[in-house]
Amino acid sequence: MIAPGKLARLVATNALSNRRRLALHTFGLVVGIASFAFFLSLSMSVRSVFLEEIFPLDEVEVVAPRVGAADVDARDALNDDVVNEIRQHPDVKEAVPRMAMAFPASGAAMFMGQRMPFEAGGFADGVDPAYVADEDFADRFVDWEAEEHEREACGPPPERECGDHYYCDQRDNTCHKRVPIVVSRTLVELYNTQFAPSHGLPPIDEALEGMLASMLRLEIGLGETMFAAAMTGGESPPRQVEGMVVGISDKAMPIGVTVPIGYMERWNREFVGDEAAEVYSSIEVVLEGREAVAPFAGWVQDELDLSLADRQGERFATAIFIVTALFVMISLVIVTIAAINIAHSFFLQVSERKRELGVLRAIGGTRGDIRTLVLAEAALIGVIGGLLGVAAARVGAAAVDFAAHRWMPAFPFKPDSFFLFEWWIVAGGIACAVVFAVLGGLFPAGRAANMPPAQALSQD
Amino acid sequence: MAGDPIIRLRDVEKSYGPASAPARVLRGVSLEVGSGEFVALMGESGSGKSTLLNIVGALDVADRGHVEVAGVRYGEAKERALARLRNVDIGFVFQAFNLIEHLTCLDNVCLPASFSRGKSPAEVQERGKEVLGRVGLADVAGRKPGTLSGGQKQRVAIARALFQRPRILLCDEPTGNLDSHTGGEVIEFFRELNERDGVTLVIVTHEQRISSAAERIVSIRDGVIEDESAGAPAAKEAAST
Repeated sequence: MIAPGKLARLVATNALSNRRRLALHTFGLVVGIASFAFFLSLSMSVRSVFLEEIFPLDEVEVVAPRVGAADVDARDALNDDVVNEIRQHPDVKEAVPRMAMAFPASGAAMFMGQRMPFEAGGFADGVDPAYVADEDFADRFVDWEAEEHEREACGPPPERECGDHYYCDQRDNTCHKRVPIVVSRTLVELYNTQFAPSHGLPPIDEALEGMLASMLRLEIGLGETMFAAAMTGGESPPRQVEGMVVGISDKAMPIGVTVPIGYMERWNREFVGDEAAEVYSSIEVVLEGREAVAPFAGWVQDELDLSLADRQGERFATAIFIVTALFVMISLVIVTIAAINIAHSFFLQVSERKRELGVLRAIGGTRGDIRTLVLAEAALIGVIGGLLGVAAARVGAAAVDFAAHRWMPAFPFKPDSFFLFEWWIVAGGIACAVVFAVLGGLFPAGRAANMPPAQALSQD
Repeated sequence: MAGDPIIRLRDVEKSYGPASAPARVLRGVSLEVGSGEFVALMGESGSGKSTLLNIVGALDVADRGHVEVAGVRYGEAKERALARLRNVDIGFVFQAFNLIEHLTCLDNVCLPASFSRGKSPAEVQERGKEVLGRVGLADVAGRKPGTLSGGQKQRVAIARALFQRPRILLCDEPTGNLDSHTGGEVIEFFRELNERDGVTLVIVTHEQRISSAAERIVSIRDGVIEDESAGAPAAKEAAST
C-alpha cells in the first residue's frame, strides 16, 4: 500500500500540475462553499442579535388573558399565589412578578440641559430588586422609601434645597432619595438611533452608561393627567417625584422605565386602590432551556388559565431557521452541482490519464492504491475549494460590513458585523467541500482502479 | 548462461471480445525462460506476443493455463503479491516510453519507490540519480520528459525500470519509436545489462537487430509458438564449442 507521505507528494504534484484543470474543478466548490459559509454566518449573527439580545428564548412572560376560560375578566389573576405556583414548576429557574403603573402619569427627562417630556403611565413598572441582584447597579436599585430614617426638611426654591440624588417631596417637605430607575438596552438603542440624532444629542455608549445617573434626571408627575384624576376620583392629589437612571439592563421594561416594585405598589395603592397594589401585570419566567418553552406554555394555559405574552421571539427564530435552511439548501445544491461537475471531469480525466494510471499499476500500484490516489486528489481539490470558499465568504462578509457601516443608517441593535463566523462554519464548509469532492471522485476512482493495466497501457 | 526457469508458462490461453464470438489471441502457449536469459519474442502484429508479455508481467490475466514468474504462481497469488512482483522483480519498458509528463525525469525514475517501503527520501533520490547516471542521463534529472529526445525518453524509462534492481526486464517494442542509431544504443545497453548484471530479458520486437542480440528467439504466429531458435550469441557460442 502506498505510504501516506509518498501519496501526499504524488497527489500534490498531480493536482497542481494542471492549474487550469484545478481551477475548473474548484470553481463550483468555491461558489457553493462561499455561499454556504456566507449565509450561515449571516444567519448566525442575526440569530445572536434577535435571540440573545432582543428575544431571549428561554425567558417568557406570563400574562393574564383579557377574558378567561370562564368568560370572566382574568386580569386580576396574577397574584402571589400564582407566582409561587409557577416557581414550583420543574422547568422554571426563576419567576419574577412585574407590576405596571396602573394609572396615567406624566414625565420628563432632564438630560444634557434638555427637558424631554414623556407619558409615564403604561410605560413604567416595578420589579423586585432581587431580580437584578447580579447587575453592577444592584446596590443602587433599592427601595429607599421602605427604609425608615430621619429626613432633612426642605422647601421649594429659594428655600432650603436637597443635596445631590435627593428631591424635595411635596407631601412632607422633606428630602427623599430619588427613585432608582433602570432602562432597557432597547430604549438606549432607540435613543441612540432615533432620538439623539434628531435632537442633536450625543449617543449613549458604554463609556457614558456609568455617567447616566448624574446626567439623566426624571420627573414623574403622579396623577397629574386628566385621566388620572378621573380614575382616582380626585382623592389623591397629584404630586411629583424625581428619579434617576442607575443602570441599563435587559431586565427593564423594553419601552419605559422600571423601578423597585415597592414604589409601584405604594403609587398604585395611593392613586388606584389596594387591589391595584396586589395584582401583577405579568410574571417574568426564566426557564431551564429553550426546549422547555412549549411544554411550559401548555401547562400555563391548561393549569393556570393564563398565557404567554406574544411569542415574537419564537416566530423570529422560526423565520430565521427557515431562511437559513433555505440558503443552506441552495448552497448545498450548488455544492452538489460542483460534485457532479467534479465527477464528470474526473471521468474525463481518468480517460485522459489512462496511460499514467496504467504505468502506476505496472510499477507496483494495487487497485487500492489507484483508488486512493484518485480520491486523495479529489479530497485535495475539496480542501482547496473549501479554503477558497470560506476565504471568499469572509471577503464578501467584510465587503457587506464595510458597505453597511458606510451607507446603512443606524438602527436599533445594528451589530458591528452582520456575520458570525463560528469555528464550526469554517470547519463544516471545508469538510463539506471535501465530502462532496470525494463523492464526486468516487465512481471515477472505482473506474480507474478497475481498469486492466494492459488495456490502460495499450497504444489505442 | 540461462539458469533455472524464472518464467514458466503452460498451456496459456487468452481471448478477447464477447463470449459468443471470442477472438482467441493465445492458444495454449507453453514457454520457459531461464534466469539471466535474453529472449526475443517475434511475430507479426496481432500474433499475440504483446499479450503474452502482459500476462508474464501480470498486467493481464490468462483465461486458462499456468503462469509462474519468480516463484509466484499467478493463479493463486493475491493482488498485493502481484503488485509487489511488478514493483520489485519485474521492470517494464514500453514502446511509447510511458513517462509521466508533469513529473521531472528524476521523479519518473523514482516513481516505483512510491509503492515500496524501506528507503528514505534521500536514499530514493540517490538511487534515482544513480540509475539515471547508468543510462547516461545524470544531467537531465530536473527536466521534464517533454524537453527530451525520443532516445533520451526511452533511456529515462529504462532507468525507471531498473530502479528497484529487477530480476526480469520485459520490453515491448523498446526501439519501435527510435531511429536506428539510438535503437542500436538501446539494444547494446540491454545486452550489457543482461551479460553484466544477469537480468533476464524478454523483448517483444519486430527487429532483426534485437533478435541478433538475443540468446533465444521465440516466434509466435496466430497465438501459438511456431518456432524457437538460438539467437546469434548462442549460435556463436555453439559454434565455438
